[in-house]
Amino acid sequence: MKRICFLFSLLAMVLIIAAPAMAQDMMDYPSELSECQVDLTGETLTIFHFGDLSGPYAFITQPVVSAVTDAVNYWNGRGGVCGAMLQQIYEDTGGNLEATQSAYDRFTSEYAEELDLLMLYSSSDGELLREQLAEDEIVSIISAGSIESLYGEDGMTPGWLYASNPLYINQFGSFCEFVAANPDTFPDPVIGFVTWPGAFGLAGTEPAADAYCSGLGVEVLDEPQIFLPTDTDILTQVQNAIDEGATILYTNSLATGPALIAGTLVDLGMESDITLAGVNWVMDTSVGILGQRVLKPNGLPSVDGMYGSMPFLWWTELSNPGIQFVTQQFAANERGPAEQNIAYLLSWAVVDSIIETYIRTVNAVGSLEAVTGADMRATVDSMEYSVLGGLVSHSFPEGMRDGTLNRIARLAYANATMTGPASGPEDALLIPDGSGGQLFVPIIIPLTDFMPVPQLRGQ
Amino acid sequence: MEEFFSRYKKELTWLFYAIATVLVFLFLREQLADKKASRIVQTLISGVLVGGIYGLVALGIVVINKASGVFNFAHGWMMVVGGMIFWSFFTVAEISVPGAVLLSTATMFMVMTAVSLRSLLEPRNLLIAAGGVLALTILMTVGGIELKWLHAIVGTFAGAILTGLIVERFTIRPLIGQPLFTAVLMTLAIAEVLHGVTQIAWGTVELNLPIFVNPETNRRFSVIRLDGLKDMLGGVTIVRVELVIAFVLAIVAFVGFIAFFRYTSVGLAMRATSEDQQLAQSVGLRVRVILAITWAVAAFLASIAGVLQGGAVGLSLNISFVALRVFPAVLLGGLESIGGAFIGGIIIGIVEQFGTFLNSSQQVGTDLAPYVVLMLVLVIRPDGLFGEKRIERI
Repeated sequence: MKRICFLFSLLAMVLIIAAPAMAQDMMDYPSELSECQVDLTGETLTIFHFGDLSGPYAFITQPVVSAVTDAVNYWNGRGGVCGAMLQQIYEDTGGNLEATQSAYDRFTSEYAEELDLLMLYSSSDGELLREQLAEDEIVSIISAGSIESLYGEDGMTPGWLYASNPLYINQFGSFCEFVAANPDTFPDPVIGFVTWPGAFGLAGTEPAADAYCSGLGVEVLDEPQIFLPTDTDILTQVQNAIDEGATILYTNSLATGPALIAGTLVDLGMESDITLAGVNWVMDTSVGILGQRVLKPNGLPSVDGMYGSMPFLWWTELSNPGIQFVTQQFAANERGPAEQNIAYLLSWAVVDSIIETYIRTVNAVGSLEAVTGADMRATVDSMEYSVLGGLVSHSFPEGMRDGTLNRIARLAYANATMTGPASGPEDALLIPDGSGGQLFVPIIIPLTDFMPVPQLRGQ
Repeated sequence: MEEFFSRYKKELTWLFYAIATVLVFLFLREQLADKKASRIVQTLISGVLVGGIYGLVALGIVVINKASGVFNFAHGWMMVVGGMIFWSFFTVAEISVPGAVLLSTATMFMVMTAVSLRSLLEPRNLLIAAGGVLALTILMTVGGIELKWLHAIVGTFAGAILTGLIVERFTIRPLIGQPLFTAVLMTLAIAEVLHGVTQIAWGTVELNLPIFVNPETNRRFSVIRLDGLKDMLGGVTIVRVELVIAFVLAIVAFVGFIAFFRYTSVGLAMRATSEDQQLAQSVGLRVRVILAITWAVAAFLASIAGVLQGGAVGLSLNISFVALRVFPAVLLGGLESIGGAFIGGIIIGIVEQFGTFLNSSQQVGTDLAPYVVLMLVLVIRPDGLFGEKRIERI
């Protein structure tokens, strides 16, 4: 833990150097929330959420609770939202679908009156609850969902779930566009999936995506190579993909997943021949740290240079007031360094989005008691909203249920002057890890602007 | 006909083995015909090395089963706890002396009171306990970061012993004399408790455990490239050093435990206890103490496996699921067989890797092949390859 403390202490230092304006006083809330037309003093707004907080995805989801707690305290410390106090009610399902169902049953029976909006964490939960949410008329917000959870089995039926990130398949499509647009970097591109199983892991492996990429001149191998989060060695899967002709390995995995693939490429001596890329979660801090277990021959960590989707702003993009604000709140609440990840960032954004949705809906119907799930859905459908000052965009026009913008970024490590990426260990920023070793500092370098993603579902 | 089968049962069984082996060989020959020799050799190497870790995990489960007849579903979480304790000592520059004293005292208290609380009333035992606390504390805190290996090994040893003894004393011991199934269910509850404790103490974030690092270069050990075989096999074959280290440690542990069970009085007492607890007690064996030792040993084995797995891929709660993948290995080798656990682990490792090699997209290697092999073996040998055949007289 100490090593990560060092890392994030340094990151905090970087943030302060880069944004002197934010270092002193607490800044104003960065969003332009709608004006309250109804006084909700004495009322309580509840943020309901449940998901895997202790199972396979726990290391990425646990900061969700911290972020929602901090957001609730922030608002309650300022008199609430339109006078209403915030609270959160959540449950850990451990990644078990039976527990998910049980949590849903409990929430819908105990909080039938208040439960108009529910925050979920995983595609699998979304798929399980899709029909039930529609039947019970409960709007659900999730950071990223599968086609089935958002649009049903036919991929064409919008449900009651809304995702802030683009569909994984669309993220993959936008990566293909990036590859096709950079033939010098990717000559003869052949993409092979080396990925986790399940709704999340296989969400990008659809014939429509293959066809779209092929149309751009990017071949996609038919069979994904699947590995488990518990695998000790994935040499076989990686070699299978390479033997099939893959020049790019694409993964829907997180934390140890991308790090294991990158390490295996180094073991095979193919780190410069094969490119590694993945869904937005591969850009997380955890990957940047875990990827340091194996170093490339040039001395940089194995995941250096990995490509990934970045459909939201990142901690290091301090020119954005939303990022400044969350960074400040993170420090003010003395959150542990390991929590400075995607989940903490996006959860603040989701709470902001929920608050704006409630304000608009209450304004429209006249009171909190009168709000129904259908009202909330109508609000979400029509809402154009820049969440937390632009950290994410909330816009679901014409039956859309997922984010429409994405950009491609590259994971790198900071150089000693903190002006860009390091080219080797000689010019890299190295910090003590607390146990006698040294750590590289991961950074994210956006390579494109935010662009509309291709719509590949239902094709 | 019935008489014929009865008379030649043994020969027919071996004939069945032979036919099955030939069929498997023909199937594999067909499947592997167009594969490069280097890939086949690589898959075999990976399977054996990964199987070594499986074997080590399986050993811990078998040790408990052998001594108490309980199938320990909490073993995966004991791996996580052990790995986390090791990480806590290994990555901290300055060990907290009060923390080390607390851990040492708790461990020695549990050790010295394994028979009863009254043991501590004897001055001699008190002296031993005090000496133990002092020795453990010194070994956990002496020197600086350069002695982190010593701190981590001693700390993990103490932590594992403490975990095992607490589990045995407060959850398993009260169930002596109850149906075995109750104790098995209790291990499920223990798993959940350890899960919660781990989350509270260390959180759920993935932790880097850089144990397979060359101290001279401060880099991970390079892989071994079998370049000499490149021309013969038609491709590169590599061996990951950390897996070799894990494999060697697994072998050392197996040899040690086989010797322990066979040649030490405690090991023999464990075997006797596993046969019949009441009978063992009637001949003067202290069943409670033996069970306590067994759980402590199993917890230590789990810790070793947790550290090795954590060092190879990173330390996280997911490590607990490795134990689930090892269950086929335990059943395949035989629930009571130490050697069987190792061989079962290797077989399952190889089967997994070849299943993945031949069809990774459908998870044949992890979800299907090990269980098909297990099913076939259990049909032929219900007690596993090396399990003890139990005859129940009705």
